Amino acid sequence: MSAHTQALPAPTVLSRRSGFRRWTEREDVFSWLMIIPPMLFLIALVGYPFVYGIWLSLEARPVAKPGVFIGLGNFIADWHDPTFWQVTQNTFVYTFAATILKMIGGLALALVMNQDFRFKNLVRAMMLLPFIVPTVLSTIAWMWILDPSFSVINWFLVHWGIANPGPSWLGNPHLAMFSLIMVNTWRGLPFYAITLLAGLQTISPELYEAATIDGASAFARFRYVTLPLLRPVIFIVTMFSVIFTFADFQLVYVLTRGGPANATHLFATYAFDMAMGAGQFGLGASIALAMLPPLALIIIAMAVYMRPVKT
Amino acid sequence: MTNIVRAASRRDVLKLAAVSGLASAFAAPARAAPKSMALMHESSFIPPFDAYIKNVAAPAYEKATGIKINYETVSVGSLQTRVTTVAETGSGPDMTLNFFNWPFLFDEKYVDVSDIAEEIGKKAGGWHDAAKEAVIVHGKWKAIPFGNVGQLMNYRMDWFDKVGVKEFPDTWDGLLEAGTKLKKAGQPFGFELGHGFGDNHGWLYPLLWSFGAREVESDGKTVAIDSAETAKAVDFCRKFFQDTMFEDVLGWTDVSNNKAYLSEQISCTNNAESILFIAKRDFPDIGKATGQAQNPKGPTGQRFHILAPWSHSIFTSASDVKAAKDFLVWLMDPKQVGPWYASAVSYYAPFLHMFDDAPLWHAEPRNLPYRDSLATSHLPGWPAPISRQQSESVAKYVVVDMFAKACAGKSTKQAIADANAQLKQIYKSA
Repeated sequence: MSAHTQALPAPTVLSRRSGFRRWTEREDVFSWLMIIPPMLFLIALVGYPFVYGIWLSLEARPVAKPGVFIGLGNFIADWHDPTFWQVTQNTFVYTFAATILKMIGGLALALVMNQDFRFKNLVRAMMLLPFIVPTVLSTIAWMWILDPSFSVINWFLVHWGIANPGPSWLGNPHLAMFSLIMVNTWRGLPFYAITLLAGLQTISPELYEAATIDGASAFARFRYVTLPLLRPVIFIVTMFSVIFTFADFQLVYVLTRGGPANATHLFATYAFDMAMGAGQFGLGASIALAMLPPLALIIIAMAVYMRPVKT
Repeated sequence: MTNIVRAASRRDVLKLAAVSGLASAFAAPARAAPKSMALMHESSFIPPFDAYIKNVAAPAYEKATGIKINYETVSVGSLQTRVTTVAETGSGPDMTLNFFNWPFLFDEKYVDVSDIAEEIGKKAGGWHDAAKEAVIVHGKWKAIPFGNVGQLMNYRMDWFDKVGVKEFPDTWDGLLEAGTKLKKAGQPFGFELGHGFGDNHGWLYPLLWSFGAREVESDGKTVAIDSAETAKAVDFCRKFFQDTMFEDVLGWTDVSNNKAYLSEQISCTNNAESILFIAKRDFPDIGKATGQAQNPKGPTGQRFHILAPWSHSIFTSASDVKAAKDFLVWLMDPKQVGPWYASAVSYYAPFLHMFDDAPLWHAEPRNLPYRDSLATSHLPGWPAPISRQQSESVAKYVVVDMFAKACAGKSTKQAIADANAQLKQIYKSA
């Protein structure tokens, strides 16, 4: 009897619990439960700052003062600002050149790394170094490499009698941009290489064997087997690279701060100077936001052009 | 690591403050002094300067009043970002160090300290006029001036001597002549023409002014850069660059000229006292041969210098404004501020007349030009009063780039036209 009375409540609890569990296990409920935390996370850390940025760009908002809504006033000011246009041009040149170099170099590096050789794993790990070292640290090393008096490059140029004195890597407007592109390429290459290497390893060796039997040359195997199968990976990695390069800040900030005479100023550094240096949040936000439309266009164009071919 | 420690201690302080606030609300009906206050500074490259506050002044103040002073230092170059954060969020330290025109930029978030400014000045022989230019905003003192980090000429006396220049030239033309000889002798000049913070503005604005030119009229509205005087200054700068320097200076930032001077690559530059300071400490031979002089005179017969003032402000968000004012009055009392100045020799040239002839100036007579330059020092944009437009012009490097473009090969007319267009756009809102 006592056993019976004790046992009675148990099934109700159990059924209630299992009812809750069954509810959470329903697909529509479960999917929402899984998606809400990341959504909240994104809204708090990406959505809110983004919307706030848009709001700021529509205001005359000096630091430590309330803002006044001025519509597109900041963007009109940017439009009439010659430095803004120079910054736009710089950013495009920088992104375009660095991305192309990283793509070609990264692909070459990945192809080499995909071969079998001694100490393969060690070499692969070492290849990642530029990517692992904190950018500010490695950039300070580059500051010395590009220094006019202590540059190791110039030392060799002078030593071998190629140039005396050596070129001014950061003082000449064109060379300064060239130097920044080189440093960016150096830093971004491992990311390309390692991602493409991962892509390469998913390609089945049988495809190469079949192509070889059909008489395809090494180049033909690369052109008709490797490249088409690698295309989705190239697309993803290029997209990432374009975004990172377009919004680059640290390199320029450490090496030239946008000099000489704005020759290396990018959107991010110029926006920072306006917002923090001049204390004009609205103007700074409008410059930062100006990055968005061209970036979106580039991404869309790439998506269309590099869309994986469905077979 | 230090950040974590600092953050933790700040949190503790807040907790403490909250607890003590609660306790005092119940216990004492009269206003109780805060348990602690925080003063934010950029860490000085002269360690004894920071050590004086941490190890001497703060403990002395705590002993006298029971209020603990937390001296929070932030890394070089990040103070403006920190002040912006405190001003925007209304939380953080009670007091801060300012550079340049910040009392103006953060005007509304700073407490009016006119009352104590007069009091402090009276006790110590009065303020230098230069000090007022940077702290009086719309007739109110928004900061207590501290000292000036002057930008003057640093040069190799031995090398100048070798080409027959016994005294540092008194005019820009004289300096050009000396530099031409020195460059030929393999010891060029190195003046920053790139995008640093201070060493570019430090000589380019004075150069512009000494030719009788200006960016904006004193009304703060009328752009005046497009003038015959500016053209002469730009022409001079191009020749000065070509005949005495090398291309690299166009890409320099503020560290570059120190590095080049101390590695004996250049014979003259424009910098704060830090070059002599470091040279004496780490490169005694260079230290012995280094001289310092005021900027040369231009065709107007006048010489100018950039004003790079340090000052202290109280945030309106401070937990106890009265207590913060009391602390600043105590800190700026000659008894406290005298040794503090002296801990950095004369690196922070005092804005108080009482120290005009203080021993800190005679510890190193070669620093005296930094004192004498105070009378001819002004903020960028002078003679216009400090304004947001002026800040924007500095952040856009309008004047620096005008000179740099001309040096890199643009015509004088075009370089000035670019600057003029930019300034017109900036001052449209004035």
